Amino acid sequence: MIKTIKIACLLSGILILCADATAQSAKSTEHDQHEQHQTHTDEHHDHSGHSMSQESGPASDHLHEHNKDHSTIDKTHEHAIDHSQHSDQSTEHGDLHHHHHMDHDHIMDHEGTMIMGQNLDKLPSSCKSISEEKEITVRAGRKYAAKFPGTMFAFDQQEWRVKPCSKVTFHFINEDQIRHQFMMHGLPKYLYKYGMFHLEVTGPKTVSGTIIVPGSDDTFLVHCDISHHMEKGMKAQLVVGKGGENIPSIPGLTPYNINDIYEAENLPMVSDKAEQSAVVRQITTAFTKSDTQNYLIILIGALVGLLSIPLIKKIMPSKKTEN
Amino acid sequence: MPNPILIVILIFYLAFTAIGAQASLLLPKTIKVDRAALTAEPPCDPKISPAWREAQVIDGVKIEASPGCNPDNPAWIAAAVKGTNNVSMDTLMKTGLSPDTIIKTDDLDGDGDPDRIIIKLEVMELNGKSPDFPGILPTFDIAPGVQPGAWVFAPKTSGMSTENFESVRANPLLRLPAPVIRVEQGDIVQIILENTHYFPHSIHLHGVDHPFAHKDHGGNDGVPQTSEIELMPGERRVYEFQARQPGTMFYHCHVQTHTHLSMGLAGMIIVEENRPNNWLQTLNIGGGHVRHPSVAIKEKFDQEYDLHYHAMDKELGDIIKKYNDPRLIARDMNQRYDITDSTEDYYTINGLSFPYSLRESLIIVKPDQKIKLRLLNSGGETIAIHTHGHHATITHYDGVEHNPVAQIMRDVFDMAPAQRLDLTLDTTNDGKHSYGEGDWLIHDHREKGITTDGMAEGGSMSSIVYTSYLGEDGLPKTSHFGIDLSNFFTQEYWQRRVPIWQDLDEVASLGSPAGQAISMDITTQNYLLNALYGLAVGLLIYFIFTKREYFKQSAMGAISRVRGDKGSKQS
Ligand SMILES: [Cu+2]
Ligand SMILES: [Cu+2]
Repeated sequence: MIKTIKIACLLSGILILCADATAQSAKSTEHDQHEQHQTHTDEHHDHSGHSMSQESGPASDHLHEHNKDHSTIDKTHEHAIDHSQHSDQSTEHGDLHHHHHMDHDHIMDHEGTMIMGQNLDKLPSSCKSISEEKEITVRAGRKYAAKFPGTMFAFDQQEWRVKPCSKVTFHFINEDQIRHQFMMHGLPKYLYKYGMFHLEVTGPKTVSGTIIVPGSDDTFLVHCDISHHMEKGMKAQLVVGKGGENIPSIPGLTPYNINDIYEAENLPMVSDKAEQSAVVRQITTAFTKSDTQNYLIILIGALVGLLSIPLIKKIMPSKKTEN
Repeated sequence: MPNPILIVILIFYLAFTAIGAQASLLLPKTIKVDRAALTAEPPCDPKISPAWREAQVIDGVKIEASPGCNPDNPAWIAAAVKGTNNVSMDTLMKTGLSPDTIIKTDDLDGDGDPDRIIIKLEVMELNGKSPDFPGILPTFDIAPGVQPGAWVFAPKTSGMSTENFESVRANPLLRLPAPVIRVEQGDIVQIILENTHYFPHSIHLHGVDHPFAHKDHGGNDGVPQTSEIELMPGERRVYEFQARQPGTMFYHCHVQTHTHLSMGLAGMIIVEENRPNNWLQTLNIGGGHVRHPSVAIKEKFDQEYDLHYHAMDKELGDIIKKYNDPRLIARDMNQRYDITDSTEDYYTINGLSFPYSLRESLIIVKPDQKIKLRLLNSGGETIAIHTHGHHATITHYDGVEHNPVAQIMRDVFDMAPAQRLDLTLDTTNDGKHSYGEGDWLIHDHREKGITTDGMAEGGSMSSIVYTSYLGEDGLPKTSHFGIDLSNFFTQEYWQRRVPIWQDLDEVASLGSPAGQAISMDITTQNYLLNALYGLAVGLLIYFIFTKREYFKQSAMGAISRVRGDKGSKQS
């Protein structure tokens, strides 16, 4: 209660002071407004990997849906999982001769290599014909994260560009010894269940799958949905035609929506032996301590107060002339 | 010049301060929190089908009934018994497991069960920070709305880490605790760790008979200081053993153990006695009731339960909710977090705290039963588990049978960190083994053990419930005593926003008193005050600056008077 009144009093007191100041500078009013402008960063929450809403609706256990159509085995998918192992990649995996066929949308072998939402022949309604056939090789692994500090997993490329209505075959090469996914979202739901196209494979191994992209310019999220692989770098986008809105937090391509705070570290360095650098470092550390946060806010307040100084420059000459 | 308005405001300020200090004749009235204002959840998870409770046979695997609220997915049990390589594709698709998660082959001793077992585990993060939106994912609640940052060994899954693309809630296979592993004495077991996490990890098989080094796979003890280097993200390692002795054991990560274990990388591993036709439930996901017990257990017991007690430090888990950059998480965990200054905040049984423990970790009994309880304490402190209404017998310490003649009965079971106890719970109503039927609590008797971040009644509390006290929904029947547990199933209760005794009488005599001010949280108040102080300082500087210009002018005038010649020369 008292604190609130205090705030109110302080606020009104300052307002009076401000009124005083503006009264003094009444002659020169319209200037320096542009200093108030601030750069505004856009946030693209729509395209983040997961929607914020926690309410996920009633039990939509999508696994059950895979079981409904066992009898329809599509022989054309035989080729889908790549049998040819890369000779330079050692593997413990056995042969891949027996495939488990699920329904039309879901093919999986005995090691969990998976193709979901593949589309070889269904034209999107926005397309009259297939504009071109394209093959894209995507590599995935920890080593591709090396060029992006602060990530751990990545694809070898962060963006692929294709023409509208093109038929694209992705060869997904997982070079790690764990699972990775090439999962695409936002595709038309009348062609792709859940709007998804999904390749998944435990490396080192390759899986291939084909889609036909829509006829309009758009940008699609591609990521690995294993817990925190996307957050830790395994994120990219497929740009169709001129593309749509960029996807955020793609390493080296688009900024994060939410950034971590980085502080200067007290790391031992060879130059520590020189006295001066130690002093500089102490000052840096002092400023980054969280205790000083309050003082920093006071400083910001002071700066706002000082913003009015340019006004004085206008006031002073006028007073000079009076004198 | 002094501003009269400023003086008026000062007077008002003092007047209000005086009013604030003055006492009122009538104290604030009571505000009762409206049930409708609470984020309530149904006591049983509606996503779990009641049909899962029934005794059933899937792909030839007999699965015992489990009348609790949220029993295990029967498909998980069938896949764990047959192996994901042998179970039907139909069943496998209901599990979410990868087809190579549990590979069972080769009946080496010709006794009718597979003796080569391969188990694949991944490392999953729960409740970690996202760079995309101001929230965490994939979410896992140990109690309504309580989401500690955690890591866990998860059975290798297939597909997404969340329920679906619209949800941030974790896939049901990604959960605390790490799954209970069951293997048979003499099995050739490979536990393959596929490190899907962004930090190095390992597996140490505490208490399990395993060689220190393996001829093909190298170091086998999981310890980065003695037997192997850390398993880096994206890498895979095989831990192989052929256990000669049965018992209740423990597996955990041994990289930066003081944090990784507490984060959740810990589970039970049980070596069962060798028997013919002994198809084991290789994984008991989420622990609790074993719905396909081993042959040896069925010889002696009516039921079996795995009870994994764990404790977590909020400040430690918060690190992964604070940063996304693995380098910052590593720095805070490895260099800044000081376990010697830490306190445990969350106490769980099979990964959950009360009231969720009622959903999954009830020990549901009938009179005159013998029940095998396997307990593990993976927390950092000794716990003291008390069984209301029962004295149970300790048969094994750390997986080794205690001399049968010297076995003792207790009602408080102290367990050091990493300790395992096998108990026999006898429900014979003789005033010693059991005092009769009821809904008897089983809880850690250190009082903080029945809290969640200090809020009671939470923690690792659960119940030994006789079926006569079990409701249709699988929760203990408490309403006939006038007991209503629904407040525990709200997020606001755990946010400490519900006066817990407000509903005990009509007038809510212990409800919440109405506040007198427009509420503003303290941090916002401080920020605002600091900003205002700063503004005041800034304006002060502005006035000084203005005055300085006058001083300058008068000083310049004085100077020009004194040094008139020089001044005119320069201008
Ligand atoms: Cu991945
Ligand atoms: Cu670890």
